[in-house]
Amino acid sequence: MKRLLSVLLTIAMLLSLVSVSAMAEGEEPIVITFYDEAANYQGTQSGWFAKVVKDRFNIELNIIAPQVVGNEVYTTRAMDGDLGDIVIVDKSKVNTLIAEGLIRPIDEIANCENLMRFKNQIDVYNKELTGEDGKYYGIPAEMTDTSPSTLTDDVIYSSPQLRWDLYQAVGAPEIKDLDGLLDVLAKIHEIHPTEGDAKAYPFSLWADWDGNDNMIGIANVVQLTTWYNEKIKGSAILKPDGTFSEIYNKDNAYYKIAKFLFKANQMGLVDPESGEQDWNAVAAKLSARQVDLLWYSWQVGFSNTAEYKAEGSTFIFIPVADMNFYADADRYFGADRVWAVGSKVEGDKYDLILKFLDWYASPEGMTFQHVGLEGLNYSKNEDGTFTLLRDDALALNLEVPEEYGGGGYSDGNNAINQWIGSSICVNPDNGERFPFKFWKSYQAWERENDKTKAGWQEKFGATTPVEYMLANGMLTPSPSVGFAPPEDSLDIQTKREDVNKQLCSYTWKMIFAKDEAEFDALWDEMVEKMDGFGYKELYEYDCGVWQVEVDAKAAAAAAAQ
Amino acid sequence: MSKKKRSYIEFLYILPFILLVGVFSYFPLYGWVYAFHDFVPPKPISSETYVGFKWFISLFSNPVKTADVIRVMRNTLAMSGISLLFSWFPMIFAVFLNEIKSKPYRKFVQTATTLPNFISWVLVFSIAFHVFGSNGAVNKVLQDLGVITEPISFLKSSDHVWFRMWLWLTWKNAGWAAIMYLAAIAGIDEQMIEAAKVDGATRMKVIWHIIIPCILPTYFVIVMLNIASFLSNGMEQYYVFQNDFNRDWIEVLDLYVYNYATAGRGNYPLATAISILKSIVSIFLLTGANTASKLIRGESFI
Repeated sequence: MKRLLSVLLTIAMLLSLVSVSAMAEGEEPIVITFYDEAANYQGTQSGWFAKVVKDRFNIELNIIAPQVVGNEVYTTRAMDGDLGDIVIVDKSKVNTLIAEGLIRPIDEIANCENLMRFKNQIDVYNKELTGEDGKYYGIPAEMTDTSPSTLTDDVIYSSPQLRWDLYQAVGAPEIKDLDGLLDVLAKIHEIHPTEGDAKAYPFSLWADWDGNDNMIGIANVVQLTTWYNEKIKGSAILKPDGTFSEIYNKDNAYYKIAKFLFKANQMGLVDPESGEQDWNAVAAKLSARQVDLLWYSWQVGFSNTAEYKAEGSTFIFIPVADMNFYADADRYFGADRVWAVGSKVEGDKYDLILKFLDWYASPEGMTFQHVGLEGLNYSKNEDGTFTLLRDDALALNLEVPEEYGGGGYSDGNNAINQWIGSSICVNPDNGERFPFKFWKSYQAWERENDKTKAGWQEKFGATTPVEYMLANGMLTPSPSVGFAPPEDSLDIQTKREDVNKQLCSYTWKMIFAKDEAEFDALWDEMVEKMDGFGYKELYEYDCGVWQVEVDAKAAAAAAAQ
Repeated sequence: MSKKKRSYIEFLYILPFILLVGVFSYFPLYGWVYAFHDFVPPKPISSETYVGFKWFISLFSNPVKTADVIRVMRNTLAMSGISLLFSWFPMIFAVFLNEIKSKPYRKFVQTATTLPNFISWVLVFSIAFHVFGSNGAVNKVLQDLGVITEPISFLKSSDHVWFRMWLWLTWKNAGWAAIMYLAAIAGIDEQMIEAAKVDGATRMKVIWHIIIPCILPTYFVIVMLNIASFLSNGMEQYYVFQNDFNRDWIEVLDLYVYNYATAGRGNYPLATAISILKSIVSIFLLTGANTASKLIRGESFI
């Protein structure tokens, strides 16, 4: 009996092996390993985007995401000599990758017609690299087709945004300064203490982005310094007059904004979970409308749906009289990351990757990234322009049409999370920019239905926030020069980590300090600690590094005039 | 079989274990070289990157930095110290557990207290977040009852953080640690206990004069093991509970090393230097404990 069983089992095993290998002989997709510092998802791309890519190139994307699994994956893969087939890294790393032979020249992109729409930007970037002269190594991410000095968007990256209906409900007062803003928020908190069953707060802060984006300090403060035309560059603050100043100088905006959040907490306006929750928790609260003040332009996406627009309860920029905003112009030369091809790639795989990259920058590829799926997100008009069908496919994870393989829209969304052409580009196929707010069809709908915008335009006498800011002298766009700081030496890196840790830790404690005396005592203690960890040397170093950008910007501004 | 041949064969018995120790305990020491280089991956180390004792010296280069190292040592010693001070707790717990006469109830208590050992610290923290967070269950109940008006930030405050960490650790580990003692108790000769009872010993007297003396050797072995890992109190627990408000009090050596090794693109030389220092201090502690044991109990464990 036992013997019979074992024979049967062996036969079954052999059969299964045969059938597996028979299947493999079919159209097995080619796996492209994608080292992607922008991705928030690690693993094989699935869902509708996987189908789109497989149908066109028969490739499967295996995404390695250091944001998910930790930066050590960079160390181990780079030490192994194979980072990935396609690589998306921070600009600062590219010269090292060339020197260590981890990425290869990609001169053949000169024949890629879609990529060459960005030839000027790609040329400028590759000239600065230390690789062999005249060779292409990288493609900057998110380039625009405008110019380094235009500001195309109708909102800027960071500005105070309130819910229009709540602002109306408290009498839509004019706001003079940050204290005035706090008063308005206090009134809003009074009439809007809960949303549904949960408590609502004007502020809900998170700690897991601290020290990111080449800025030391807590993310919820560093972004807001731009409201007073001060931009943090590494460990220094760039003042409106183009000079640098120490981040811990009490005359600077970092102090002002930290104090602003401290006062907000004193007035009971800060969500007590701030500092213990992470960004995902805050994102859930934004979707549930439990937060009354937003400061990133993209945050409105969590709750500005068509229904709320019709209701007049969407978030929109509310001017504060004493503010003077810092904003970068269109990132013509691209954002902080670069696309490159791994040095182990050659032959057919290399050709395939170039084809993929060119498609990624093509009108069709960009429509998938920036607009979505025809029949779900948009429909095509006779003249080739688009009409918006749903703007909540991502938020509600809508079911994807069968022709795209079904599944949830957000589950199957492009996990690469990084573009070659920015969404602000014009779609060559129909002459309209990719975001739907620029479409004729949408603007017509908006004029009829968006109560927030209509009320806002009437009150402030401008069509868009940027127009209002420019008309009132509240905004000077800073030209884009595509500068990226070089990689820190280990000594500088150590100082930066130590100083940042102190600054973040103390700032959080200050926001939740008992009283003003404690706030100031903590500040003085922090300055002493930061100096002990080498802040002064770090500051000197950063001033030198970022002065290059300041000079380039000044030259660009002069050239533009 | 000749004596010589036999000794060769006996050597072969332990060879696999020598190999394992070599591979897993001695080979990794090679990684110590990174403490003496300015190592920035992916550039391999070479004579150009050699910097000598720079990273060791940098830890003590000025009073602020030295104070920071002392702060981390203080947290490490304090939290290990508290654990050591209360290390009798699982033993007493096991003794009392053993006294429960109703078998189903005893099994229930034992299972309920052992289970948390199998929950990862990340999950423990998510439980903590939902129970003790500012909008968590405890705060909600207290606010609904009108006991407090403002939520209490249990997780954000640094008050009694060492003790609270010990409570979490005990909640998670006590049942598991008690298993060893339960086994020791089961090994006690039943005749002794019966004889004591015949002689009129009460339950407490049996515990005090028979059970505890019989399991004390087990207790001492466990204490010894704890001392050897005095500086390695793990990092997972402190890693999940750390935030900008309590880091000053919660950052222990292992976490300090981890934070350096993983911040940004990783600072391996400094992290390695700190862990080397840790190993050196551990050797001193171990020999110290060994000497103390020799003096007090007349026997040593090395």
